[in-house]
Amino acid sequence: MTDRTYQRLDPQQAAERVKASINLRKRKETRFLWLGKTAVAIALGFLVLLFAGILSKGIPGLFQYYVTLDVQLDARQLDPSGQMTVESIAGGDFDGAILTSLYEALGNPEGRKAKREARRLISSGSSQRLMSYVLDNPEQLESMVSIQFAVDDDVDTFLRGLISRETPEADRRISDQLIGYIDALEAEGRISYEISDYLFFGSASRDAEMAGIRGALVGSILTLLVCIVIAFPLGVATAVYLEEMAPKNRFTEIIEININNLAAVPSVVFGIMGLAIFIVAFGMPRSIPLVGGIVLALMTLPTIIISSRAAIRAVPPSIRDAALGVGASKMQTIMHHVLPLAMPGMLTGTIIGMAQALGETAPLLMIGMVAFIVDVPAGVTDPGTVLPVQIFMWADFAERMFVQKTSAAIIVLLAFLISMNAAAILLRKKLERRW
Amino acid sequence: METIVSDSMVQNTNQVEGRAVPEKTLGEIQVDNPRMTARNVNVFYGEKQAIDNISLDIGMSQVISFIGPSGCGKSTFLRCLNRMNDTIDICKVDGEIKIDHQNIYDPAIDVVSLRARVGMVFQKPNPFPKSIFDNIAYGPRIHGLAASKVELDQIVESSLQRAGLWEEVKDRLDQPGTGLSGGQQQRLCIARAIAVSPEVILMDEPCSALDPIATAKVEELIHELREQYTIVIVTHSMQQAARISDRTAYFHLGKLVEVGDTKQVFTNPKHELTQDYITGRFG
Amino acid sequence: MNDLNDDFFRHISSEFNEELEALRRSILEMGGLVEEQLRAALQFYSTQDSSLLSKTDEIEKKINAAEIDLDEQVETLIVRRQPIASDLRLVLAVSKIVRDLERMGDELEKVGSLSLECFMSGSDVGVTEIQQIAEQVAKMLSESLNAFARLDLDLAREIFQREREVDKVYQSALRALATFMIEDPRNIGRILNIVWIARSLERVGDHATNIAEYVIYLVQGVDVRHPAVNQNSFE
Repeated sequence: MTDRTYQRLDPQQAAERVKASINLRKRKETRFLWLGKTAVAIALGFLVLLFAGILSKGIPGLFQYYVTLDVQLDARQLDPSGQMTVESIAGGDFDGAILTSLYEALGNPEGRKAKREARRLISSGSSQRLMSYVLDNPEQLESMVSIQFAVDDDVDTFLRGLISRETPEADRRISDQLIGYIDALEAEGRISYEISDYLFFGSASRDAEMAGIRGALVGSILTLLVCIVIAFPLGVATAVYLEEMAPKNRFTEIIEININNLAAVPSVVFGIMGLAIFIVAFGMPRSIPLVGGIVLALMTLPTIIISSRAAIRAVPPSIRDAALGVGASKMQTIMHHVLPLAMPGMLTGTIIGMAQALGETAPLLMIGMVAFIVDVPAGVTDPGTVLPVQIFMWADFAERMFVQKTSAAIIVLLAFLISMNAAAILLRKKLERRW
Repeated sequence: METIVSDSMVQNTNQVEGRAVPEKTLGEIQVDNPRMTARNVNVFYGEKQAIDNISLDIGMSQVISFIGPSGCGKSTFLRCLNRMNDTIDICKVDGEIKIDHQNIYDPAIDVVSLRARVGMVFQKPNPFPKSIFDNIAYGPRIHGLAASKVELDQIVESSLQRAGLWEEVKDRLDQPGTGLSGGQQQRLCIARAIAVSPEVILMDEPCSALDPIATAKVEELIHELREQYTIVIVTHSMQQAARISDRTAYFHLGKLVEVGDTKQVFTNPKHELTQDYITGRFG
Repeated sequence: MNDLNDDFFRHISSEFNEELEALRRSILEMGGLVEEQLRAALQFYSTQDSSLLSKTDEIEKKINAAEIDLDEQVETLIVRRQPIASDLRLVLAVSKIVRDLERMGDELEKVGSLSLECFMSGSDVGVTEIQQIAEQVAKMLSESLNAFARLDLDLAREIFQREREVDKVYQSALRALATFMIEDPRNIGRILNIVWIARSLERVGDHATNIAEYVIYLVQGVDVRHPAVNQNSFE
C-alpha cells in the first residue's frame, strides 16, 4: 500500500558506505584464510606423523643382522658325487660345514647343550645359502671362504635391543649362554647389520629372518598385468560407445546408473562374486593371478569407464565439427581425433584405478590368494599371492621380527603406489595439449 | 508534415512483429547456372520450426552472403547444405537440396563424400591439434586423393599457397597448427577445406573472431577464391556482406525475405524488413 | 609528388584499390572532356566553324554521361566500402568535383550558343578581352585537374592567385566592352552577348577555384571555403 521510495545513492555516499564495510569484509576474509591454512597444516601434520611412523618402523625392517663365518669348502663333504649339479649337491652335508665353522668361531664349545645353543644362533636357511653359493662359484671348492649368514630371528630381535638382558631368563626366548656367544661374536666383529637381501629376494617363509616379498611382488605384478590387459581396452571401448555411439534412450540411462553404482560397491563383494562365478561355477583354480586379475579388472572397470567418459566429453566439439567438415566418417573422427586427445585423461584414470587395485586385499582374500606360496609364480596360472595379502598374513605371525618386515613391506607397497601416481601425473603433464 | 513525423516515430523496434514476413521471397531466387539448389526446405528442431519453406539457388563461382538477425536460421540453413545437421539428433530436415542436380539426401550419396565436395569453415578457427602439415594433409589422406608422398606434399603446398599462408609457414610445417595467430589459424582452416578440392565452400561467420587486419586478409582471400569455388558465407556484419558478396540473401524468422544482387539489396532493398535490418532500425 | 599518393593504394583489398584508382581515372577523364570543350568553344568563338558547334554538343553529352557514371561509382564505393578518413575525403571531394565539372560544361555550352549570336564580321571587338580571360581560365582548369591528379597543394594555391588575376582581367574587359557599347549603340545586343560569354568564362574559373579548394580538403582535411565564416584560411 505504501510507496516504496528508493533513494538513489549518490556516488559519494556509496563510496563512504563501501569504505565502512571494507574492514568487516577484510576481517572475514582473513579469518577464512587462516581457517584454511590451519586445516591444511593439520592435515600435513598428520601426514607427516603417518609417514614418520611408517618409516621409523619400516626402515629398520629393510636391514637385518648377519654373522660372518669362515667356511671350509670341502669338496667331498659338499659334493660327494663330484658332478656339481643341484641333485648331486642335495646330498652334501652343508649343515655340517657351517656348524664346524660356527663352533670354531665360538671357540669350540663343549657339550650337547652348549652346541644346541650355538646352533640356535644361525638361521635354518643357511645351508640353502651355502648350497647356492657353491653352485655359483664351483671354483672356490677346497678353499676357505667368508660368507654372511642370517642370524636367527630371535637373535636378530635381541640385537635390535627389543629383548632386554634384564628380563629373567625364564621369560626370555634367548638364554644367557646364547647371549654370551653373541657377545663373543660381536667382540670379534663378526656381527654386521646389512640391507636384508632376504626381504627382496626371499619368498614367504615361516622363519622371519628368511621371509621376503619376492613372491608377493611378482604375484602383484602379474595380477596387475592381467587386470590392465582386461580392464583398459574394455573400459575405453565402453566409454567410447556410451559417449559417441549409444542412442540417448532409457536403456543407456540405466546402463549409466549401473556403472556409477558399481564404482561404489565394496570390493569384497567383487571377491565373493569372483569366488562364486570363476572358481565354483567355472572351476578355475584358486589363488592364481589370472582369477585375481579378472576380479580386480571388474572392480576397476567402472573407474576407468567414468574417467574415460569424462575425458572424451572434455574434447571440444569444435574438433569433431572440423573433422566431420573435412569429410571424416564418425569412426575416423573418433579414432583420429577424439581418442588421441582424450588419451591423457584416460591413462590418468587408468593408472589411478590400477594403483587402487594394487592395494586391494579383501577381494583377493575371497578368492583364496592366501596360499602360503614359497615358490615365485612363473605365469598367470601358477598359484601366487599379492603384496597386500602378504602384509596381512605377516601381520598375523607371532615372531617379533615380522613386525619390522611387515613395516618394510608396507614401505615397498607405498613406494610402488606413490610411483604409480607420480607416473600418472607425469603422463598427464606430458600428454596434455592446449587447444 | 506532422503526420509523417509521428508515423516514423511509431515504427520503432517493438513494432516488428506487426510487419508481415512475405509469403513469397522477393528478388531473384534462381540463377542461370546454379551449383546448388534448394527447394521448399523445412527444418525442425524437435517441435520448433527453424527454417520455413525456403527455396534458393547458389550460383556457380559466386559469393552469396546470408544476413539476418540472430536466430533467423541462416546458420541452420547453411549447415543443411553439407548435411552437418545430421549430427544433431533432434534436427529434422525435409525438402530438396541438390548439388549439380543430385539430391544430397539420396542414399546413393555417402555423406562423407558430400562433405568433401562441400567444405566448411567455422566461426571459431578450429585447426586440429596436429602439425600444420598434418592439418592440411588429413583430408586428402582419408579420401585417398594423393597417390604418393610427393603428391601429398604438392597438395599441401598448393593449398597453403592458395590460402595465402605458404610464405608464412613454409619453414615450420611440422609445428602445431594451434601455435598460429587467430587470423593465420582461420586461413589454415580455409586451406584445409581447399585441400580436398571442394566445389562449394561454406563459411559460418569466419571473421567474427578475428581482428580487422586478419579479417581484411581473409576477405581478400575470399575474393581470390571465388574464381574457382562457390562460396556461401553467413555474416553478422552487413559491411562485410556489402564488401565481398555478389548476391545477398536476407533471412528473417526462418523465412527467406529477399535475395538479390548485393549492390541492389544495399542501395534499394525491395522489402521493408530488409531495409529496416540493414539500416539498423532493428536486429 | 605527395606522400598521400602512395597511401591511397595500400589497402589489403586489391579490389578496393582498383575501385579508387578507377574513380580517379574517371574524374580526370571527365576533366579532360571539359578541357576539350573549352578549347572547342573558344575556337568556335573565333572561327565560327559550325563543325565545332556540333563537337561541343557531342562533348556535352559525354560530360553528362560521365556525371551519371561517376555518381554511380561514388554510390557503389560508399555502399560497398564504407570509406573513412582519406578514402572518405577522396570520395566526397570527387562527388563535389563532378558537380563543378558538370557546371563548367553547362557554362561552356552557353558560351557556344552565345557565340553564334555575337559574331560581327570584320570587327575585333572584345576579341582580345575574351582571349585574355579564356587563357587564364584554361590555365586554371588544367592546373586544378593537375593539382587533383598530383595532390599538389602549391599548385592549388597558385590557382587562387590566378583567380585574382582573372578577376582583374574580367573587370577591365567589362569596362572595355562598356566603352564599346557607348561608342556604337547599334551593337549593344551583340556586345552584351560578349559580356555574357565573359561571365560564363569567369564562372568556369570560379568552378576551377572550387576544385582547388576540394584538393586542399582532400589533402589536408581542412575546409577552406567561405573564409568569412570559416576559421580555416588558405592564406
